[in-house]
Amino acid sequence: MIFRQIFRYEFGYQLNSLSTWIYFIVAFMFPFWFSEIVRPNDDTVYINSPSFLVLATVFTGVIWLLTAGTIAGHAAARDVQTRMYPLLYTTSVSKWEYLGGRFTAALLLNALIHLVIPVGFFLGYYLRKEHPGQVGPFRLEAFLSTYFYLSLPLAFYVTACQFSVAVVQRKAIAALLASFLLFPILSQLIGYSVATWLDTLELYKSMDLTGMSVIKDIVTWTPYEQNNRFIQLSGALLWNRLIWLAIAILLLAYSYHRFTFTHQAEKSVRRIKRQKAEAEVAVTNIPAPDSGSIVLWAPSFDRSARLSQLLEITWSSFRYIAGSKTGLTLVSLFAIHLVIFAGEYLKEKGVPQYATTMNVLPMLTAPLTNINTGLVIIPMLIVFFAGELIWRERESNLNRISDTMPVSEWGLFLGKFLGLVLVIGLWMGFLLLAGIVIQLINGHAPVALGVFIKVLFGIQFLNYLLFAMLVMAVHALVNHKYLGHLAVLMVYLYIVFSEKLGIEHNLLIYGSDPGWSYTDMRGFGPFITPLIWYKAYWIGWALLLAVVGRLFLVRNMPEGVRERVQHLKKRFTRSTALTALAGLVIVLFTGSYIYYNTNVLNEYVSSEEWIKKQAEYEINYRKYLNRPQPRVSGTKVKVELYPRERKAGIQGTYKLVNLTQAPIDTICLDTKPGVETSNIRFNLPAQTVVDDPYHGFSIYKLAKPLLPGDSIQMDFEVAWQSKGFKNSGMDVAVIENGTYFINYERLPTIGYNLNRELRTDLDRKEWELSEWKLPSLYDPDSRQVRPGQELVSFEAIVGTDEGQTAIAPGNLVREWKERGRSYFHYATSGPIRNTFSIFSARYKKYASVWKDTISGTNQDVKLSIFYHPEHAENIDRITRSVQASLPYFTRKFGPYPHDHLTIIERSGPDGFLNAEPTAIDYGEPFVLLNQKGNPQALDVVFFAIAHEVAHQWFGTGQVIPALSEGAHVMSESLANFSGLQVVEEAYGAEQVGLLLQMWRDDYEVPRMWYMNSLLQANDPFLGYRKGVMALYALTHYTHQEAINNALRQLVIRHGSGKPPLANTLDLYRELKAVTPDSLHTLLSDYFEKNLYWQMKTDQVYAEPIDAKNWKVTLKVKAKKYIIDSTGADITQPLNDWIEIGVFASAVATAEAGEKPLYLQKHKLTKEETTITVQVSEKPSKAGIDPNYLLFDLFLDDNQKQVKIGVEKTQGRKLVN
Amino acid sequence: MELKIYNVSKTYPNGVAALKNVSLSIPNGMYGLLGPNGAGKSTLMRILATLQDPSEGTLHLGDVDMLNCKDEVRKTLGYLPQEFGLYPKATAENLLDYFAVLKGFPEKRSRREVVESLLKKVNLWDARRQKLGGYSGGMRQRFGIAVALLGNPKLLIVDEPTAGLDPTERVRFLNLLSELGENSVVLLSTHIVEDVSELCTNMAIINKGEILLQTQPLTAMNALRGKIWRLMIEKSGLPEIERNYQVISTKLFSGKTVVHVYSDIQPGNGFDRVEPDLEDVYFSTMTGLMGNDVRKQEAAQ
Repeated sequence: MIFRQIFRYEFGYQLNSLSTWIYFIVAFMFPFWFSEIVRPNDDTVYINSPSFLVLATVFTGVIWLLTAGTIAGHAAARDVQTRMYPLLYTTSVSKWEYLGGRFTAALLLNALIHLVIPVGFFLGYYLRKEHPGQVGPFRLEAFLSTYFYLSLPLAFYVTACQFSVAVVQRKAIAALLASFLLFPILSQLIGYSVATWLDTLELYKSMDLTGMSVIKDIVTWTPYEQNNRFIQLSGALLWNRLIWLAIAILLLAYSYHRFTFTHQAEKSVRRIKRQKAEAEVAVTNIPAPDSGSIVLWAPSFDRSARLSQLLEITWSSFRYIAGSKTGLTLVSLFAIHLVIFAGEYLKEKGVPQYATTMNVLPMLTAPLTNINTGLVIIPMLIVFFAGELIWRERESNLNRISDTMPVSEWGLFLGKFLGLVLVIGLWMGFLLLAGIVIQLINGHAPVALGVFIKVLFGIQFLNYLLFAMLVMAVHALVNHKYLGHLAVLMVYLYIVFSEKLGIEHNLLIYGSDPGWSYTDMRGFGPFITPLIWYKAYWIGWALLLAVVGRLFLVRNMPEGVRERVQHLKKRFTRSTALTALAGLVIVLFTGSYIYYNTNVLNEYVSSEEWIKKQAEYEINYRKYLNRPQPRVSGTKVKVELYPRERKAGIQGTYKLVNLTQAPIDTICLDTKPGVETSNIRFNLPAQTVVDDPYHGFSIYKLAKPLLPGDSIQMDFEVAWQSKGFKNSGMDVAVIENGTYFINYERLPTIGYNLNRELRTDLDRKEWELSEWKLPSLYDPDSRQVRPGQELVSFEAIVGTDEGQTAIAPGNLVREWKERGRSYFHYATSGPIRNTFSIFSARYKKYASVWKDTISGTNQDVKLSIFYHPEHAENIDRITRSVQASLPYFTRKFGPYPHDHLTIIERSGPDGFLNAEPTAIDYGEPFVLLNQKGNPQALDVVFFAIAHEVAHQWFGTGQVIPALSEGAHVMSESLANFSGLQVVEEAYGAEQVGLLLQMWRDDYEVPRMWYMNSLLQANDPFLGYRKGVMALYALTHYTHQEAINNALRQLVIRHGSGKPPLANTLDLYRELKAVTPDSLHTLLSDYFEKNLYWQMKTDQVYAEPIDAKNWKVTLKVKAKKYIIDSTGADITQPLNDWIEIGVFASAVATAEAGEKPLYLQKHKLTKEETTITVQVSEKPSKAGIDPNYLLFDLFLDDNQKQVKIGVEKTQGRKLVN
Repeated sequence: MELKIYNVSKTYPNGVAALKNVSLSIPNGMYGLLGPNGAGKSTLMRILATLQDPSEGTLHLGDVDMLNCKDEVRKTLGYLPQEFGLYPKATAENLLDYFAVLKGFPEKRSRREVVESLLKKVNLWDARRQKLGGYSGGMRQRFGIAVALLGNPKLLIVDEPTAGLDPTERVRFLNLLSELGENSVVLLSTHIVEDVSELCTNMAIINKGEILLQTQPLTAMNALRGKIWRLMIEKSGLPEIERNYQVISTKLFSGKTVVHVYSDIQPGNGFDRVEPDLEDVYFSTMTGLMGNDVRKQEAAQ
């Protein structure tokens, strides 16, 4: 009865509070407008599909978690905070009734708030009627499963945690702190880093509180499943819910135990006793009044006194935060965590990188908008402490006194801000220390103190200060602690998701900048200037925010809006006006300068306009896609680079030949955005028919048609200069050190450019364009030569600043200096594919030669590596890889067709590698892998270079794949397969095992299990992973040389690079030719279907036959199934040869070089089979498909430890 | 220095009129503002302490316009609110030092002297290193007055300072107050008549937002001389007395009821004439027999 009364009163009381209603409104509004922020990437997924409801629920749940702590907090601690507790604690209410009633009321409110989420979500689509084509039927099960598996448990766990912490701490705000600790720190940061450390995503799934991991699962669903599947309470999710249930109940029990109906007793008993004793002494022992008069010093309020006031408030605020439990501990713990886990952070493909400055900086810094980093605790702590500071006096009821102090609102507001600033400074110091320690421990690179200080105390510190000012101003303005936090979160979400909301200009997104990066080659490059301008602009706004804070800071009794507005006039003093004016002037001045840069000097194109441009390009010009065009057969460029001025000028000449059977009278030209293309001239009379520089397309009509076999010469000029800065990103094509650009992004190309087409389904739908697809494998037009694939004779003269080396494909014919500039003349010995990059930097060169004594040409191939002088660590390894790859590929696939191969280090933070004809380039981070220190790890450098060298046979040189389905397999699967063999030859089986392991791990990465077949491969995963696994498996079913012979045939037939270009059908034909008929089913399973096997070893037991021999019995399961586009499994008849293996060692696998005791392929036709084999040594491990040749999503259960003599399930001794 | 309150009214957004047309003129020295709970005392105090703005009216401290020059007022203001909290984890010395900086003592040495002398003055010197969270009510109140006295304020506002104090603490506190008020305006609001009678040279009685009487205690008591009569009766006889006489107050004494009656002449049998005290002034005013209401009635006649 009392329980019900307490519950009802609490429920009603909170329902009367404004903040409760605001939480309801937010929980309604977010899902209601959800489709404006997030849209499914696939337009066949309904925006009200079950999976989308989960997404909206999780998203809104996080917002609720981070803001609505007040409900549980107040239910738990209001009586103590309002000091009403003596009235309540002395009644006959029991602990159970009191806490239970309060908790139940808070839980019910929170559960109701969660109930509003699906209501808002579903109503959104019916009331707003947006995207009508994407709305599916209402699914009650979707609502029920989401609410009861995600929302309600979340409400319970979080309410329990918040309530318990608030009960124990006797403070409502503790609930909010509990939420901060729960979500970003416990559930995300610790959960995630522990999980990645232990390499198990399952653990993360069971730690995840909000359902983030469910979203990661949903990503693997097909559109059909996303529309029709509901989340199930099983597996990891069930465990997760149970674990958190246990945590929640434990916390509740603990707080129940700790709670007493007594006066505040937070300190230890002894201390209280002592204090009481002291207090009694002081009270009882009252001496006569001190007759001495008070020392009279005249107070002063001059400038220095004002400054002292400010500093005193600053210092007091700083001490308050620094002295609190979370003030310094969290960030210092995070810094320690960085040091401990530095190896993990630096790990790339299983190999740690050297802790150079460019590698350590991303650990210490992140943009404010990045919510996927542990650093997100800093903005969260700023939010929390800003609220605490603004409310500090009021919450301890000191404001009645402190507000009457002769301090201006400036002092109060700025003092608190500066206190927070000091704390942030200290946090930056922790991070700085972490960076230094990481570099010292790692020991490779010198400690980059200067850069760290610039970045941490220049950029990051400033970003956090700007944010802190925003938060303080919002808190001062909103004047309600919890709603203030909510408002701040809204503002933060706006900053993070502004782009999704259609706001792209950085001038409109508080604190933003066009981004920056630091690399060893570039340094800060051109990023600093715009950064300074943007920060100055935001400092102007921060001044205005400070004025807002000063004007609205509440310094009196609770006030209504009208009174606060009345104060404005009085507070708007001269100094305030001057500050506002200063802020305004800064904002206007820097803002106009930025606008001038982003919108006048540079073209500002919103993403919407960009999409429009692309769509119009396709609508207007796609009709020219298959129009016969002369083909480029010679490219000559004269490139003038001006790295310091960040500009370039190119004069180019294309030789165009009519290789068709008919005369050609029009030439279509695609010119590139961001550059100025001019002076297009033909050496035959031609007339401009279409000139559309906006879309970058022009058409010329020849006075006299070009007859088959005839050629025409086209001259052009291209120039660009980076002027000032753009809204987002910087053009880093030509920069002070590390110039790099690729021809098809700058130079004109012949014909319609397929690469310009919009790819996103939603965008295409909006423009009524048909769904974008890779050209079909069976479309003969797809085998045409597209721009960039033409075979050309190539020549380039590149001029650059003195001291730099400029690089282009080809042999260096001549090098000279002229008017203080360096010139380099390159020419290729034979025709190359018309794709090339130009580089220029202060390079160091390493040269060597490989002599082809294998193919009989006796050709010398000159190898040059151009690298940043500080990045010399792996140059020998790169050389070794090339020196191993060239002979291997020559032996297996035929000779390398050029007399040189150039390897260039590309500047920038991306580490990927890129192969072009006769050239390979890699990004800076790639070469920073610490292979020497980790000899046991996969030699990524060696393998990756071998992979790129292989592209000189497959993908880039020689076999140039058709731009159609399967192209990824043709280039990447073949390059990976070739690289694998070089690794095997150089290092042996162990490294091969590591490499295969790396590829297999990618199978587990969340992705959709439904995919195209390898033949029709349409994504990188199929090319880089599945394709090579299939080829590798084939070597076990036939033998390696057979597959290599098939590839050699491919090179022989298609290595000329002439049309019709090769596709996967050609590869498939060659593979069929080298495999026996018995394997054609397998080949078809691998290449034609999206087929998976599911194999498992149930039991293995062995018994000795005699002193030496053992009989091993395996009970195995196997089935295979196709996953179709609905996500459904369709079981296929099993009739496959599958390996059965027995091993002597329990740890080693066959790949690691261990000789198996037994390894044979057995034909399995039933789902369950018992196999008995005999081995000549004591077996330890055995199983089905131990080499993982078949695509199985769960590899852990393939093998089992051998039980000696005992059958596990029956537990009896086997009698023979 | 004189504090002039002229036609001050305060109406809260919910319609409650806390102050109606209050005008007072308060000279240097102790000034008592006497009134029952909810009379508007605290509202007036807060307005004087720059924490609230009146809806109408003006306030001047000497030449300073208190509404528009709050910062000037705050420089010479000491305020001890009726209810306040302290940072529980801070020590008295620290927090007083903190406030001393805010009150215009940037210089460390002079500040230390000021803090020390104040802590000694309010007898908290021995407890200066204790956490304020462990202070008793009286100690907190004394700490509050130490803060209020910082910087030798010209205007000291003390709102119901003795409300929660035990008799010893109260005496101690009033002693402390009595030393002040020679060079400054000390405004003491209270509902305890003795506080005023013991300390103040000037006083006002306020009820329902209106000033009923502005006077000096002695003058007021003199004005009542001969008009206050006392009768001791059984409690059951009270209704009859109330029907027949102007009862201004009743009190219990040894189980009997002591009635004070206002009358210009001897009211009847058993009534003793008593020497009026300030309490009689207060109750006479509250019942409308003294002060503004009387004057208004007289004026009406």
